[in-house]
Amino acid sequence: MTMARSELRRRAVRAGLLAAVAIVYLCLVGMVQAFSTRNIVGGNLPLSRILLLLPSAVAASLAVRPRVRGGVTMELNMGEAAGAGASIGLIAGAAVAVGIGIVNLIGQEAVRGVFNAVTSALMLTLTLQRSTVVGTAILVALSTATGALFALAGVLAPRLRRPIVTGLTVVLLMGMLQSVVRVMLVQLGLATQWLYSVTFGGLTYLGAVASFAAGMAAARLWALRREAAAADAAERAEAGGRPRIPRAMLLVPVGFVLLALPALLGTFLSAVLGQVGIFVLMGLGLNIVVGYAGLLDLGYVAFFAVGAYATGVLTAAVNSGSSLHPGLPFLLAVPIVVLIAVAAGLLIGGPVLRLRGDYLAIVTLGFGEIARVLVTSDWLKSFLGGAQGLIAIPAPTMSVGGLHIDFRNPQPFYYLALGFCLLAAFVSWRLANSRVGRAWNAMREDEQVAEAMGVSTVRYKLLAFACGAAIGSLGGALFAVQIGSLAPSSFVFFISIQSLAIIILGGMGSIPGVIVGALVLVGLPGFLTEFAEYQPLIYGAVLVAIMLYRPEGLIPNVRRTRELHEEEVEQDAWLEGVPEPAPSMTLGEAVE
Amino acid sequence: MSDGVGEQTTPTAGTRGDGQGTGDRRAILEMRDVSTHYGLISVLRHVNVEIFPGEIACLLGGNASGKTTTLKTILGYVKPSEGEVLLEDEVVSGMDTTEVVRRGISMVPENRRLFSNMTVKENLELGAYQRRDRKAIAKDMEEILETFPRLRERLSQKAGTLSGGEQQMVAMGRALMAKPKVLLMDEPSMGLAPVLVDQVFKIIKDINELGTTIFVVEQNANMALSIADRGYVLQTGQVVLADTAQSLLNNPQMREAYLGEL
Repeated sequence: MTMARSELRRRAVRAGLLAAVAIVYLCLVGMVQAFSTRNIVGGNLPLSRILLLLPSAVAASLAVRPRVRGGVTMELNMGEAAGAGASIGLIAGAAVAVGIGIVNLIGQEAVRGVFNAVTSALMLTLTLQRSTVVGTAILVALSTATGALFALAGVLAPRLRRPIVTGLTVVLLMGMLQSVVRVMLVQLGLATQWLYSVTFGGLTYLGAVASFAAGMAAARLWALRREAAAADAAERAEAGGRPRIPRAMLLVPVGFVLLALPALLGTFLSAVLGQVGIFVLMGLGLNIVVGYAGLLDLGYVAFFAVGAYATGVLTAAVNSGSSLHPGLPFLLAVPIVVLIAVAAGLLIGGPVLRLRGDYLAIVTLGFGEIARVLVTSDWLKSFLGGAQGLIAIPAPTMSVGGLHIDFRNPQPFYYLALGFCLLAAFVSWRLANSRVGRAWNAMREDEQVAEAMGVSTVRYKLLAFACGAAIGSLGGALFAVQIGSLAPSSFVFFISIQSLAIIILGGMGSIPGVIVGALVLVGLPGFLTEFAEYQPLIYGAVLVAIMLYRPEGLIPNVRRTRELHEEEVEQDAWLEGVPEPAPSMTLGEAVE
Repeated sequence: MSDGVGEQTTPTAGTRGDGQGTGDRRAILEMRDVSTHYGLISVLRHVNVEIFPGEIACLLGGNASGKTTTLKTILGYVKPSEGEVLLEDEVVSGMDTTEVVRRGISMVPENRRLFSNMTVKENLELGAYQRRDRKAIAKDMEEILETFPRLRERLSQKAGTLSGGEQQMVAMGRALMAKPKVLLMDEPSMGLAPVLVDQVFKIIKDINELGTTIFVVEQNANMALSIADRGYVLQTGQVVLADTAQSLLNNPQMREAYLGEL
C-alpha cells in the first residue's frame, strides 16, 4: 500500500527542516570547521564535507522507511523515495544557503559577535573553497543529490542495502582512523602508500574502493554465515547436539590481537586504549547495577572516586599530601581498595533499598555529589588532601629477569588494564548466568513477585551495589596509578554520565556492548583529537539516536531486547487505538 | 451490594457450621484476630481464618473488601498491626516474605504477574528458587508439565506471548514449583473468558486432589464455592460469614448479595 501524497510531503518537509536545523547548528558550534582538516578520501572529501551532508543523508534514509499504519505496511516506490529524499536535501541545503546569505548581508564581524565559530575559514568550507554564489549552488546541489541517493538506499531491500551501508561505514572508519590504521600497518611492515595518500593523509581513491569492497564482502559473508548458522541451529535442535565449532575457539585470535595491540599502536594510542580500559571497567560495574539489577544509579562516580582515593592513600609515599601513607605495593593495595569499595557500595545501597526508578536515580545522583564534596572538604583534608588532592602516587613496578617494567608507561599500563578488564568481564559473565543473575533478572522484571518466589530483594540489591562498586573501584585504582596524582575536579558528574552512556550505547546487560560502548565513546575522541571538544555534544546526540532507533543498544542482550520491544508494541498499539493483545503487567503496576 | 449481610450475621471466629467434621482437625494456616492498617487507614479488622490440611478454602468479597490485603498479610508483605498469622502452629507474621515462602506458602498473584520476558521454563524454574534439591525440582517440573501438557510445547516460549489461560497455567505451575504446603491464589478467574474460568477451576480442584492445600480469593463466588470445601465472606475488612461451601451456596443472604440471584 502506498502512502497518501499529503502525508509523504509532510514527512519530507519535517525531515528536511530537522536536517536543516542540524546542519546550521553543527556549523554554528564550529564542528564543521573543526573537522575540515581531516581528509577521508583524497583531497576533496574532508570530514567537514561529510558532516555537512550527513544530516540530509540520515534524515532522507530514515524518512522513507516503511511505516505500519493500522496493520498495513506502507512502502514508498523508488520514484517517491527519490523525490522525498531530494526535497529533504534541498531544504537542508537551502537552509545553509540562506545562512550564508544572511552572514554576507550583515557582515561576518557582526555575526561573529554572537556566533564566534562563523569565520571566513568556515565560509570557505561551506562554499567549497569557491566563490560564494558558485560554491553555494554546488553545496545545495550536492545536498539534494545526497538526500535522493540515501533515500533510494533507504527503500532498497535489506539484502542490498546492508552491504552498501557497511561498505560506506568501513570507508568512513578507515578514513577517520587513518592514524591508527597506518601506524599498525607500518609496524607490521606493510606498505601504506596504496591505501593512504601521502599528500592528504586520508584514503587514496584505490584505498577507498578497496575498503568499500572489503566492507561489502564482509557484510555478505556475515549474512551467509548467519543463514548457515540458522540452518545449523535448526539441524542441531533436531539432533540435540552442540555447535560444531565451539565459540571459545573464536577467542584465540581475539586474545592474540589484544596482546599484540600495544606493540602495533605505539605509545600514544596505547595510552588511549588504557583510558578505554578504565571506562570498560566503569561500564562493566555500572552494567551490573543498571543492566542486571535494574537499579538506575546516576552517582556511579562515587565508586570511581573511592577506588582512586583508596589506591592513592594506600600506596602513596610520605609527601603525598595525606597524613596516612602505609606505602603498600599496588597489588597488595588492590584487594583492600575493593573491600573499601564494597563497604561504600553497601553504605550507599542501604538507604536506597526502598526506592526505585526516578527516586533512586535522584538519590544516587546526590551520593555522587557527596563523594565529590567529601574529597574536596577540609574535614578530610589531612587524609585525602582536600582541594589540592593527592600527589606522588607511585606507579606499580615489576622486575622480570632484570627487565624493569614501570606500569605508568602506556604500553605496560595497557596490559594492567587489560588484565583488570578480563577479570571484571569474567566475573560479570559468571554472575549473569548464575543463580544470582537469575534473581536479578526476576527482581528487575517484578520486584514483588520475585519476593514471592523467595528472592530476597534486600540482599540482591545490596549485592548488586557491592559488585558494581567493586568493579568500578578497579577503574578508579587504574586511574590513580595512570596519572600519579588525584584532584577532586576529576570526580565530576560527567563521569557517571559517561559510564551510563557507554552501557546505553552498547546495550544494557551486554558485556561485549560495554566494550564497544567504551571504544566508541572514549576511544574515538582519544584517537581523533578534534572530537574531544565536542564530546558532550556527541554523547547527547548518540544517546538520543540510540533511544529512538535502537533502544536495546548496539550489541543487545537478548532479554533486554524483548523487554524494550514489547513496550514499543504496546505503545504503538495504544497509539493506534488497538486493544492490547493480552493483559500483562508492567513495572509501574507492581506497586499497589 | 447489600450491607445487610454484615449486620445480620455475627462475624465470629470458627463459625464453621456443620458438616466436614473440621472441628477436630488442626489448622495448617491460621489468621488469628488479624488487623492491618495502611498508615492510618484500617483495612482488615479482627480477621479470623483457619485453613485445614488438604482442603480448598475460599475467601469471597467485593472490590476493596480486603481480599488481596489478606493474602499480602499471610505472605508478609503487610505486617499485621494486631493479631498473628500461624503456619503449622508457628507464628510467621513479622517474618520477611522470603522466609514465609521458604516455610511453605506460595502464591499465584492477581493478574498472574509472570516474568513476561522470560521463557516459560525460566518462569517455572524461578518458582523453585528457594529449593536446592535439583533432582526433586526436575521431578516436580515433570509432574507439573503432566498437569499442564500445554506448557510442555511452550517451554522455550516467552511467557508474555502466551494466551491468558496459558499464562494462568504458568502462574500456577510456577507457584507449585515451590512445593508449597499452602497455595494462595488471588483471583484466578480475573480477565479470563468464561470457558477458561471453568478450566482453571477444574485444574485448581485437580491440584488440590493431588494433595495441595489451597486458599483461593475470588470475586466469582459461584465458581469458587463450586470447588471449595469452606468459604469466608469478607466485607469492608471483616469476616461476615464463615461456613461450608454448601451452606454458603444455600444461604439466602449470600445468594442475594454475592451469587447474583434475587
